[in-house]
Amino acid sequence: MNIFLLILFGFLAGIIGGMGMGGGTVLVPLLSFLDLEQKTIQAINLISFLPMCLVALCFHWKKGLLKPQNILYVIIPAVAFALVGALFASDSQNKLLRIAFALFLIAVGLWQLIVAIKFEVRKSRRKIVIYAKTYQLLAKGRNPYMSKVKKAKN
Amino acid sequence: MQLTAKNKWILALLGALSGFINGFLGGGGGVLVVSVLLTVLALPQKNAQATALLVILPLTVVSAIVYLVKGVVDWQPTLWATVGVVAGGVVGALLLSKLKSDVIKIIFAVVLILGGIKMLF
Repeated sequence: MNIFLLILFGFLAGIIGGMGMGGGTVLVPLLSFLDLEQKTIQAINLISFLPMCLVALCFHWKKGLLKPQNILYVIIPAVAFALVGALFASDSQNKLLRIAFALFLIAVGLWQLIVAIKFEVRKSRRKIVIYAKTYQLLAKGRNPYMSKVKKAKN
Repeated sequence: MQLTAKNKWILALLGALSGFINGFLGGGGGVLVVSVLLTVLALPQKNAQATALLVILPLTVVSAIVYLVKGVVDWQPTLWATVGVVAGGVVGALLLSKLKSDVIKIIFAVVLILGGIKMLF
């Protein structure tokens, strides 16, 4: 058992997990480099998440980042179906679970990539509009920044 | 924020899906929960990421209990990985309020795709 790699992989996934970005999606593929069965990997992910989550929640709570209004609508069905999912997993073969996780990762990754790229494109379009408007005002002999400064002074 | 009946159903359905995935795959539900909180509850990015941990905690407890009862937990690697995860979690929690997440999201998405391909072969 390579203890150094277990701690290193855990640390890398913990950073993503602590940011609430889904540490499990990093830890599970990393642990698949080691000689471990898929169910064991999934159990490691679930159990290691618990103390990390409590610590991270303390930090987020102190910074006022938690917004728990209306989340019970998500939590109650999620808990019920987590039970169903975990029972299914315990009766499934390791190979099936591994393929299912791999396909899930690829689907989520592609989806996240599309969303992130769309967001970047929208942001750069907004910048171009601002530059164009600034250029138009400058071409008319008006300095848009100076007018803002004058307004602020008044 | 006052929710419509339709939105309550959407939250419940997506919650059920996230829960099932988290239980079946032993993780991954958090990514879906963040998206639900962003789109349906219209939370800002950082609040959605932090609050998702609050949603995932109880369903991870339930899933972990099932895995424990079914005897699939190997304690030695679990404890060593947990040491790393907790240390990384502190760093991640501190970074969340400081980092610009746009670039990280793109890197993260590519890492997920590569991870998935690696697991397939």
